[in-house]
Amino acid sequence: MSILKLNNISFSYDKTPVLKNISFEFEKGKMYCITGKSGAGKTTLLSILSGLANANEGTIEYDGKDISKLDKYKFRSNYIGVIFQSFNLITKFTAAENVVLSMDIAGIKERNKKKKAIELLLSVGLSEEEANRRVLHLSGGQQQRVAIARALSHNPDIILADEPTGNLDVDTQNEIMKIFRQLAQQNKCVILVSHSPDVANMCDEVYRLQKN
Amino acid sequence: MYIFKNALRCITRSKARNILIGIIVFILAVSACIGLSIRQAAENAKKETLEGLSITATISFDRMNSMNNMRQPTEDGGRQNFDRDSFTQMMSGASALSLDEYIKYSQAETVEDFYYSADISVNGDDALSPVSNNEEETNSSTGSQGFPNMPDRNGKFGNRVFGASSDFTLTGYSNEKAMTDFVDGNAKITQGAIFEEGTTEFSCIISEELAIFNSLAVGDTINISNPNNSDEIYTFTVVGFYTDSSANQNSFSSMGMTVNDPANKIYTSYNVLSSILKQSEEVSETLTDSNSGREYNTALSQTLNATYTFADAENYEKFCEDVYTMGLSDSYTVSSEDIQNFENSLTPLTTLSKTAGYFLAVILIIGIIILVVLNIFNIRERKYEIGVLTAMGMKKTKVALQFITEIFIVTMLCMMLGAGIGAVSSVPVTNALLENQITAQQERLENVEQNFGRPTDINQGGGFNGGGMNMPENNMGGFGDFISGIPGGESINNYITEVSSATDLTVLMYMLLIAIGLTLVSGAASTLFIMRYSPLKILSNRD
Repeated sequence: MSILKLNNISFSYDKTPVLKNISFEFEKGKMYCITGKSGAGKTTLLSILSGLANANEGTIEYDGKDISKLDKYKFRSNYIGVIFQSFNLITKFTAAENVVLSMDIAGIKERNKKKKAIELLLSVGLSEEEANRRVLHLSGGQQQRVAIARALSHNPDIILADEPTGNLDVDTQNEIMKIFRQLAQQNKCVILVSHSPDVANMCDEVYRLQKN
Repeated sequence: MYIFKNALRCITRSKARNILIGIIVFILAVSACIGLSIRQAAENAKKETLEGLSITATISFDRMNSMNNMRQPTEDGGRQNFDRDSFTQMMSGASALSLDEYIKYSQAETVEDFYYSADISVNGDDALSPVSNNEEETNSSTGSQGFPNMPDRNGKFGNRVFGASSDFTLTGYSNEKAMTDFVDGNAKITQGAIFEEGTTEFSCIISEELAIFNSLAVGDTINISNPNNSDEIYTFTVVGFYTDSSANQNSFSSMGMTVNDPANKIYTSYNVLSSILKQSEEVSETLTDSNSGREYNTALSQTLNATYTFADAENYEKFCEDVYTMGLSDSYTVSSEDIQNFENSLTPLTTLSKTAGYFLAVILIIGIIILVVLNIFNIRERKYEIGVLTAMGMKKTKVALQFITEIFIVTMLCMMLGAGIGAVSSVPVTNALLENQITAQQERLENVEQNFGRPTDINQGGGFNGGGMNMPENNMGGFGDFISGIPGGESINNYITEVSSATDLTVLMYMLLIAIGLTLVSGAASTLFIMRYSPLKILSNRD
């Protein structure tokens, strides 16, 4: 059964259609790639999936429930984990604090959130010293790992990632993709938005968006 | 809880911005604390002193009110006409309160004590001349100072003289408390002793000047008579001499009326005076002026001065209301010089308090504007952070709450620090400002006196030494000291010159309210911006 289902989604910016009648289904345990050329509406689709934008037409079902009827803040903080292209971390916080903040927003009752955050950060390949370093002082790859750890902090069923390897070198790109693969193996639904054919090749299913 | 933690974290991680906000709030807090402290000191000084004061009050005919009631608006709405005839008619029908009426109002539960005195005008005989600088007046003790237009050319009906100016004032006191000049130290016995309280024996005390002027000794007898009937004579035994400090001031200022000269005052008990009035009434005659046809009675008449004392200002205020429910006519008013004198003494502090109030208002307005602007810049600068937080699922209201918490923490910390510094510096600052204020006030009065060439009544508020007002001891809390004007400056007020404590719990409560107010106002601006932001737009623009 699909965890996320798009039914005839259409979206337009100021009467300029961007997405038209999109119907996709996503299942747990699989890694998906939404690809397409620049301007095809990949990031827009991700915004709709993450509840940051509303589709003009069509419905999105999360676990069989229409997400337009769910509390959008709760949907974003509890059910999905989003990894933004530019990471969107709080730069004045440490890596661990960013992860803890995500847990706080999700309302997770954990006795030692910082310990859990550091474990998560270690699991995505950061050292403990890096986990306690301010985000501003981490490299792009390290920030991407923090963003992944933050997305996983509240144990969501769906991971959405926008161009997760766009700013990374090849080695780091491979390491990050390994992490996504592991997450899919942990029965998460991983949806990547990328224009990279390499990334698409590493995914189980690829949805290609065509401009217009 | 995490909102509070986040707020703390954001404060410590954005030191420069928060230090800037902190400095502004700190300056605001110190200024506000000093301003509020000055106002509070003035309030405390007024309140605590009035609470600790023994206040005296009198009931008098309110002529001004009656005159205002006689004013009638003109049809064109211009200057009001005064109905002089009605007023004169009303005044001729009006009478002073009787002793029984005064006693009736003294039964009010707020009255702590009640005393009274009465004056009658009398003449002396050949052996008793009034102290005077004028030879003619000195020789006029038989009451021959007739006014023009009196019954005949000399104003006489045989031994009856109407409207004749008298030489002496005979004052009868109900008890020793009523002798306020002696209680306050303005007058003191120099020989002999004051007559027994409430005595019915015809004993009196006279001024030392009068004694010297007439070569009198303690134990001598003097004769005084009714100015309207020289046959009506009363003999007193002089039991003491007194000096009155005000006598010297009036040496040349009694307007040629010896009766007004303090040296010509004779003091006795009210019982004696009452007895004289009774006897005078018994022997009085009613005569008719052949020219005007008006009737005159030769009986002596008294001018009563009744004084009520109150434990505090609150009781006085209540008495002012109660007395009318007890039947006092609206034509009369209750007044207290003590309250007026005290308010005059507060003039510099009150002026300073008002200035502090304006200063405080300006400071607060400027402070609020600066804080709001700073917060708007802060929000715009942190727009991305707001976008991230809301994209992560944090509700906008919680984001706003976090921002408000940040402002509140910074504001509170700086307010506390500012209040501490303000509290420490408020007393010396207040006293320094007060000193300047008093100096300016005194210089102004000195200039006025120099311009007039003598002490004047301009801005004269009276001091605390008069009027039977008893100041509380030094531990008044709100203020510490008074000065009695400049040496020789009789007309210059006694001012509160020093406050010993200024910042109290009330000031701190106001500071807390200001902190909350500043937070809410600047927080409201932040909230408005936060609620307008869309996370998608913020993040898209950044991407």
